[in-house]
Amino acid sequence: MTTKQLVKDPLNLIITGVGGQGNVMISLVIGNALVRGGYLVTIGETYGASQRGGPVMSHVRISKETQYSPFIPDGHADIILGMEPVETLRMIGQFGNPDIVTIINPRPIYSIDATGSQAEYPDLDKLMETIKELSAKTWIVSATEEAQKMGNPIFANVVLIGAIVGSGVLPLDEKSLEPVLRETFPKEVEANMAAFHKGVELVRQ
Amino acid sequence: MASIDIDAPGTSQLFIGNEAIARGALEAGIGFAAAYPGTPSSEIMGSLASIAKKMGIYAEWSINEKVAMEAAAGASFAGIRALASMKQNGVNVISDFLANLVMTGIGKAGLVLVSCDDPSAISSSNEQDTRPLAKWLDIPLVEPGSFQEAKDMTKWLFDLAEEIGTICILRSVTRIAHARGNVKLGKLPKKEQKAYFDQIHDLRNLMPTKFMTVPSALRHAFAHLKLDKARETFESSPFNYYLGPDKAELLIITCGSCWLYSQDAVKALKVEDKVGILKLGTLWPLPEKLIEEHLNKSRNILFVEEIDPFLERSVMEMVANLPEGSRRPTFYGKRSGHMNAYGELNPDLVIKAIASILSVGYQPRDIEYAKKAEETAKSYVPERMMTFCAGCPHRATFWAVKNALKLDGRDGLVTGDIGCYAMALGPAGFFQVRTMHCMGAGTGVASGLGKLGQFGFDQPVLAVVGDSTFYHATIPALINGIYNQSNFVLMILDNNATAMTGFQPHPGTGMTAMGEPTKVVSMEALCRSLGVHVEICDPFDLENSTETLLKMIADGSGPRVVIMRRECELVRGRKEKPPYKVHIDPDKCIGEACGCDSLCTRVFHCPGLIWDKKTGKSKIDEVICTGCGVCADICPQGAIIKEAA
Amino acid sequence: MDTKTKDCKELLTEVIDTGLCTLCGACAGGCPYLVSYKGRIVLLDNCTLSEGQCYEYCPRTYTDMDAISQQVFGVPYSEDELGTTKEVLIARSTDAQITERAQYGGAVTTLLSLALAEGFIDSAIMTRTSDDKTPIAFLAQNAAEVLQGAGSNYMACPVLQSYNHLPKDSNHSLAIVAMPCQALALTKMKKEPPQNRPSIDNVKLVIGLFCTWALSPDGFHQFLRENLDLPQVKKFDIPPPPANRFDAYTSSGTISFPLEQIRKFTMPTCAYCLDMTSEFSDISVGSVEGIEGWNTVIIRTDVGAKLMEMAKAKGKLETDNLPPQNLAHLKEAALLKKKRALKEIVKRSGDKNNLLYVGLSPNLADKLLA
Repeated sequence: MTTKQLVKDPLNLIITGVGGQGNVMISLVIGNALVRGGYLVTIGETYGASQRGGPVMSHVRISKETQYSPFIPDGHADIILGMEPVETLRMIGQFGNPDIVTIINPRPIYSIDATGSQAEYPDLDKLMETIKELSAKTWIVSATEEAQKMGNPIFANVVLIGAIVGSGVLPLDEKSLEPVLRETFPKEVEANMAAFHKGVELVRQ
Repeated sequence: MASIDIDAPGTSQLFIGNEAIARGALEAGIGFAAAYPGTPSSEIMGSLASIAKKMGIYAEWSINEKVAMEAAAGASFAGIRALASMKQNGVNVISDFLANLVMTGIGKAGLVLVSCDDPSAISSSNEQDTRPLAKWLDIPLVEPGSFQEAKDMTKWLFDLAEEIGTICILRSVTRIAHARGNVKLGKLPKKEQKAYFDQIHDLRNLMPTKFMTVPSALRHAFAHLKLDKARETFESSPFNYYLGPDKAELLIITCGSCWLYSQDAVKALKVEDKVGILKLGTLWPLPEKLIEEHLNKSRNILFVEEIDPFLERSVMEMVANLPEGSRRPTFYGKRSGHMNAYGELNPDLVIKAIASILSVGYQPRDIEYAKKAEETAKSYVPERMMTFCAGCPHRATFWAVKNALKLDGRDGLVTGDIGCYAMALGPAGFFQVRTMHCMGAGTGVASGLGKLGQFGFDQPVLAVVGDSTFYHATIPALINGIYNQSNFVLMILDNNATAMTGFQPHPGTGMTAMGEPTKVVSMEALCRSLGVHVEICDPFDLENSTETLLKMIADGSGPRVVIMRRECELVRGRKEKPPYKVHIDPDKCIGEACGCDSLCTRVFHCPGLIWDKKTGKSKIDEVICTGCGVCADICPQGAIIKEAA
Repeated sequence: MDTKTKDCKELLTEVIDTGLCTLCGACAGGCPYLVSYKGRIVLLDNCTLSEGQCYEYCPRTYTDMDAISQQVFGVPYSEDELGTTKEVLIARSTDAQITERAQYGGAVTTLLSLALAEGFIDSAIMTRTSDDKTPIAFLAQNAAEVLQGAGSNYMACPVLQSYNHLPKDSNHSLAIVAMPCQALALTKMKKEPPQNRPSIDNVKLVIGLFCTWALSPDGFHQFLRENLDLPQVKKFDIPPPPANRFDAYTSSGTISFPLEQIRKFTMPTCAYCLDMTSEFSDISVGSVEGIEGWNTVIIRTDVGAKLMEMAKAKGKLETDNLPPQNLAHLKEAALLKKKRALKEIVKRSGDKNNLLYVGLSPNLADKLLA
């Protein structure tokens, strides 16, 4: 198997969301698929302070040449896969640049501030507009909605994996993901495959 | 995804640094591994223990790091390759044994210590660098700069340890230990191991006794000879290499994760032709000839390393010893203020340092874009506060502690220790804890305070400790309190797990690292056998817990023990359904009005309770609420209703 | 004098931590932050409200005496030494079961039992002496329970906390047996009805007790423990002057202590109290100097008058006139308490025009300070 040259080396992907959404799993599946594809992959994770509900971001460095550090330098992200809109904007603020592409699940997760109050959540439409303005290209993928249709919101992760693969921004195709998904979800293979393919479909619409 | 015992040599797997280390130990053919949980090292033992039985090796969670290190040394003495792993604080705990082990040497089988440091103390009480300890105690130390190296170095280190006859240290940091990267696998050994304590003396240890430290001064000299031998090997180690031009405007000397950051920085600044990087993997003893060679490449040397200026000072010492007339470069690093002397590093900090030294501009992205992106992202969502998990017994315990101490009215204080409950320093535990140092310190400090009666001290003292911490380090302090008749209450929070580090078992849980059932060492039986009065409470019974604490605090003679026993919610939640369904009656909730003032959200701080600014009432977050029902007992208006599920 | 309502922190700095707290209990149990425990008011957590009912109802924060007198009696604060009165008389119970247990004439027990029997109230908040001889407040709902509360206990008890502890939506019709400070707090509550507490309209009857001073539960109880075999003690008494002693009746006889020994445990706040005869109740009850087994009874309101009429008509109470000498002595003692209190207040405030918590008309203030 020949490992394709990357459009940019390293390719820097940020997966961001909120604790409990399962974005670590996404980075693992994508990471494993890439390693099998012959790439050098480094994944670094940073957790916000709380067990649940605090921000979680994974930095994925993809290269054909070198093993890169687990931190993407400020302003150097190429792709942001956002499981939550405010967290996506937060990442753009620190790591974005005019060339980034974003794939975003537009479902807000309300956070609690230090007084136990629900923090003010910005206007969602305005938020999405801002994200689009700050990205070279944006795909909006209603992964949670799709997952709820399938019967469990946790499938949203796999829908998003399908979306990022289907978008073509990574050197991965559907075939390369299938064995990894089967190994990761030995118990619910069919459901997860369906979620994956749904994601691919959604992003190509 | 792949387990560390996967038998697929030549393939690449995605491992976290700790898994790579564990795999390296496997490939080295270890038979014995011992550790105590400590972030960021725990996964080393975790992954070894999960495949230990299958692979025919022995892996244990020891009661503390000291015993873990000693036990591993025992295995080495009997010819079995052994590994001990811990976080930086564990190395402090074993330092006395290490100092003496360096004198005695190890057995025929290699002994490796893995120490994982936590720059910025993200999950630690303090920030501390293991590397100076190697210099202090004369121990060879290496640090991997990638995930592949983490595996390869670990494997090789056993050979080195055997070659020179002394323990060797592999130092790692969080950003290698917990990050994931490519690791190409080697072969797994398939030989049987036989343990035997060889009574014939080992010719490498020149004195005709086994594992003794005497005569100490002479053995100290031998330790230096061993270091010299290591240094020779290090001069040509494949773990040290240079990347960059023959003549550079700046030479970076770096190691570990900082090598990865330096690479990122050089690439981001596009100064590959100006900046060379000397990456060192063998850090102590320094490969002096190699370094000297590379010092000629540039007038300017920048040291990039995590936590202490260890390489920085060691190289400066070396340079001071160079012959008269040798070139003296300009050194940049923590001393000069170009790299921070505290807190963890990252590529952007290295970029800043290089840019400043070379007077190079750096603009990672378009300025207009940057302004817009930063402004819109700024303070969209305020910081969420650290708190105990929903349903955590510690929240209920510290509620009872807060009330008991206030009701008691004599300005009682709580000395703290290490674990999830350390968060009681802050709002999570209602600011109850007043001191926090290291494992077991809370009870030691309490033992001292409890003897100050003759100086007019009359404040009740409550030492709080977790169950795992109790076994690790607290028992000597408790016995000290009994023997010296000190007045304090020891409160043991028994949630049946070493929770903070990942729910590892301990002597009170009845389960070993390898998943085998074993004898339970009962903490109450132990305390009672010492003649101490012991009360056991369920922290969720707030009334009873508060009453019991009040009684125990009021009786001021000698140590008394209260065990607050309830399983960690995260562990319980995996096995059972929530006991209650909890909801708030908006008609009864009076919110911010006099008579409540948002007690549940403003003071109690369970993440399952949310304050709705629009309605001015509290509500339950059904996704997060674990149905423990404790909030229903504190609501002054009876607005929180719990129904048996 | 600062007259605005403040928060619980100020309650602590102005009243609780300065020895002015009477342990009436008005601030306790109405919220999760202030509770009473072993003779102290304890703040368990910080409340962030800038105005609290705890401060508002406290009998030792600023009180406009004229305004609250209007609330209860429809007239400004009386210049009479005994406060607003309709009638002063003496009374004693006709029920031997009551007089056996009563401190003096059993008037309080009788009036409460009658009120309960007639359905005028369905419960009474009062104190009884617990097994360890500390006073404990409780809700009595029948004659037998009321009888348990007979007898004096000289230690302060946060009775009003029990009112605060009742369910918010309860509709008991209540009587409360109150010390002068507690009656004052209740009157403040009647003026500004409490929120998120049981309705103050539920309080149908306040029976106030005469009081010269109360003893600190913490310190005095320790004294009792050290000097008496408490389980043997049946009753305490401080007989009226010139006796000058504190008596403890035990199964093996009476043990007496000189009153000075006991006076040490007087709550410091009592030095600043103007009210000897519970001026803000419906009926006030005390002992009769020199006449054992009878109570002095002061009727102040229509409610009180009606109940007394009923008691007489149904033959529950035997009554008579208070001898003029006794009345004169009573007035003298009451006036002396007012004067002493104001003197101490001015000493403490350092300013004749700053009477701390007492809002008197300048006229009356001058008279009492003369």
